[in-house]
Amino acid sequence: MERVVGRDETALAALYDRYAGMLSSVLNRILRDKQAAEEILQDIFYQLWRTSTDFNPARGSLPGWLAVIARNRAISRLRRHRPEQGEELLENTIVMPFNLETAIAQQELLGRVKRTLDELPKEQRATLELAYFEGLTHSEIAERTGDPLGTVKTRLRSAVETLKRKLHP
Amino acid sequence: MSAHPKHDEDFDLYALGALEGDEKKAIESHVAGCPDCARKLAEARGRISLLAFSAPPVAPSPGVKEGLMRQLHASAEGRLPTRTASEPERQGGFFGRGWTMVFAPVAAVLALAAIFLWTENARLQSQIAILNATADQQKLQANEARDILHIAQANDTVVVALKKMPGSPNGDAKVSYNAKMGKLFYDGWIEPAPADKCYQLWLVPMQGDPINAGVFTPAKAKMEMWTATVPQGMPAKMFAVTLEPAGGMPHPTGPKIFVGGVS
Repeated sequence: MERVVGRDETALAALYDRYAGMLSSVLNRILRDKQAAEEILQDIFYQLWRTSTDFNPARGSLPGWLAVIARNRAISRLRRHRPEQGEELLENTIVMPFNLETAIAQQELLGRVKRTLDELPKEQRATLELAYFEGLTHSEIAERTGDPLGTVKTRLRSAVETLKRKLHP
Repeated sequence: MSAHPKHDEDFDLYALGALEGDEKKAIESHVAGCPDCARKLAEARGRISLLAFSAPPVAPSPGVKEGLMRQLHASAEGRLPTRTASEPERQGGFFGRGWTMVFAPVAAVLALAAIFLWTENARLQSQIAILNATADQQKLQANEARDILHIAQANDTVVVALKKMPGSPNGDAKVSYNAKMGKLFYDGWIEPAPADKCYQLWLVPMQGDPINAGVFTPAKAKMEMWTATVPQGMPAKMFAVTLEPAGGMPHPTGPKIFVGGVS
């Protein structure tokens, strides 16, 4: 990031090579529209370039920040509303529990996340995916699935408990 | 300051965006004044962001990166003067209406020339960016070639021929491994993996669990050569290629395709 702040385009290109695949995957999963996903992907890196001086590494992990921004932007596009003020999270801290600097590290983590989700009961996983990939709240999930609100809350809480237990370094 | 959330998972639910109404406001107001809970929320944001990795892999088109580079140059160079709505229109004076009649055609020609030069400059800058990216790629390839040479020339490099397991896809591969350098060189061919699957190379050490040494998904049954870095000073007992879910696994789970012991 220091080189990006120093306006080194090759540094931005290297960050793109490192993280664009992960971001493209989540954008496509949320939007199911490759053109819209690529527009947002380009815009995220352009924003990173423009606002690189605002990024404080002490307050957050870059891949974590990129993943959060990608999800927020895609869900905003999906739901056709602009991000709420502060949603961009440049000011917020994100602690990434894993090092994602290399492709091998990303691949290992990908396997670990997939395995954790595969171990979740089917209903918990479906509820978690509605929340993460579609940006639905408890009551919106209950409305979508027809399940009681209490059941949705219990499923989601159990799912995040499992994530917390399994996804730590 | 409001009370701490009852459960730590509330931070994950907040980061997920599932909370609403009073539950959401309670977290926001509490975190604003509680550094401990702000840290827990930061950890929850990182944890939840890992779910991005559960999305099926979709590579972006090469045009996205090229477009990004063009955008950088256009923003750096493209500042054509424009008059804003709030600026008053000049009237009278030395450059009043009479002179405007004379200079207007000249100004139009100059403006067109400026636009042409600007777009041409942006195009050239874009080409330079693409050439820089190509040079970076070539540098990476040169580094890989240098690694291959070092591995091949080192006296303590072992070359392991991998044998195809019965019933496995056709193919042939070998691994050149230098434990001291912590580098290996894979050289082989194999039929493409089924959809949603990939091949994964494992270094099986003398002691301990197999170590991931690279994931690959050949599009065609043609020769593949690549290098990988593994922990240094790790004597290998054998190498194996397994068939795994797309993206690879932390530990081998699928059938062995190739296996080769270190003699």
